[in-house]
Amino acid sequence: MLPDLRGYGWMLWEGLQLTLLVGLASLLLAILLGLLGAWAKLGASRIARGIAGTYTTVVRGVPELLLILLVFYGTPTLIQNTAARWGTPVYINLDPFVSGVLTLGFIYGAFATEVFRGAFLAVPPGQIEAARACGMSRHLTFRRIVLPQVWRFALPGLGNVWMVLIKATALISVIQLDELMRKTQIAVGATKLPFTFYFVASLMYLGITVASMLLQQRFEAMANRGVRRA
Amino acid sequence: MAQTAPALVVEDIHKAFGPLEVLKGVSLSAAEGDVIALIGASGSGKSTLLRCINLLEIPDSGRIRLRGEPLEMTRDRRGQSRPANWRQVDRIRSRLGMVFQSFNLWTHMTVLQNVIEAPVHVLGKPKREVSEQAMALLEKVGIADKASAYPAHLSGGQQQRAAIARALAMEPEVMLFDEPTSALDPELVGDVLRVMRQLAEEGRTMIIVTHEMGFAREVSSEVIYLHQGRIEEQGPPEQVFGSPRSERCRQFLASHLSRDRNGPTAAAVAAVDQPTAS
Repeated sequence: MLPDLRGYGWMLWEGLQLTLLVGLASLLLAILLGLLGAWAKLGASRIARGIAGTYTTVVRGVPELLLILLVFYGTPTLIQNTAARWGTPVYINLDPFVSGVLTLGFIYGAFATEVFRGAFLAVPPGQIEAARACGMSRHLTFRRIVLPQVWRFALPGLGNVWMVLIKATALISVIQLDELMRKTQIAVGATKLPFTFYFVASLMYLGITVASMLLQQRFEAMANRGVRRA
Repeated sequence: MAQTAPALVVEDIHKAFGPLEVLKGVSLSAAEGDVIALIGASGSGKSTLLRCINLLEIPDSGRIRLRGEPLEMTRDRRGQSRPANWRQVDRIRSRLGMVFQSFNLWTHMTVLQNVIEAPVHVLGKPKREVSEQAMALLEKVGIADKASAYPAHLSGGQQQRAAIARALAMEPEVMLFDEPTSALDPELVGDVLRVMRQLAEEGRTMIIVTHEMGFAREVSSEVIYLHQGRIEEQGPPEQVFGSPRSERCRQFLASHLSRDRNGPTAAAVAAVDQPTAS
């Protein structure tokens, strides 16, 4: 029934764990950047709006693979060359995990910005007025009234971002991070069984996304407590 | 002395939205226990006036004093009026209870959570003590059985009574009502008005923007008729409803009283009974 993995099953399992870790870390960063970006886009500061606007436009308009390569290979070189010109030679070697998470978090932060922007706008103004009218400060209103409601409106969009993000982690294999995709390629190279291993890897990615969808339904049910279903 | 100062004084409030001047110098004073009804056609500025009192709209000029404490205003570089100190605004707002036309109960919280939210997080009161008071308030407005329900599962009338309980939980010095029954089905209006009448009888200071003329006449101690951003008629209800000096006010009342002489339900029934009546 199970395909013979020639002893590489354990290695794929390790890859899967790293994929999940990279994905979750990137998602966390993307959510933080998304909240920050939405706050900037909806805020009064023209400079913040400009920065956030540039961020979402540029990042969403450049291929992920290109950005991953740019960050991993480009930035150390840039920093080293600049430092050398200033007369202080440094040697920088980025960790693939860190630069992968930074890049993916940065990219999907731009998508999350749009998700959160829509979610913030979906909170009815009367909810905020009622809070301010009882003397809640802006900060307290945000924490107690706006943020809990933003999750409800943001969850479907965030679920979507997560689906795309977790698959995009496969791209990090190009910078030698031993996540599921790269482990699979190693196994294929060693066993010459491409169908078996690519197929098993596909099932693993599919397993993640199906489990994510189920989790998302649970979260949405939690966030929608007390809200009448349409 | 603070004891002798009126509960709320509003002086010479001006407010414009762009080129549209909504309030052109309105003043009112509410003594302890006064119930002031603000009436007028839509667009007369009555809701804007109410929202200026707790700074949901920032008046362009004018003075507001709560129990003698003046609300400090200043101007920014472009000459735009703004509060000098938002902390003071928050503090003053916590002493003014606001009830909205569209209830605005927080949808992610149960009724009880709605009621205890501000006393716990704004006033810093202990949750247990506040919860007991909140249950008593829900009892008072007649929806204690809905304490653990979410707002979306309540009727409009129940939601509005929950919103009144939420405002009362802050033990406000003045209650502001912004057309509290306008979004309700006619048969639910009575429950809300009953609660408001009870509050008036308890001697609460209230300012009520309303279209319910019968209610205004019976419950208020003073009626203010606004027309195009100015006070056109002002006085005790017997005078404003009985013998208004302003012709405009007379016309306004005539059109409204004929509509709801016997309450909105009766008016609706009458309209069905006599479809040809003008």
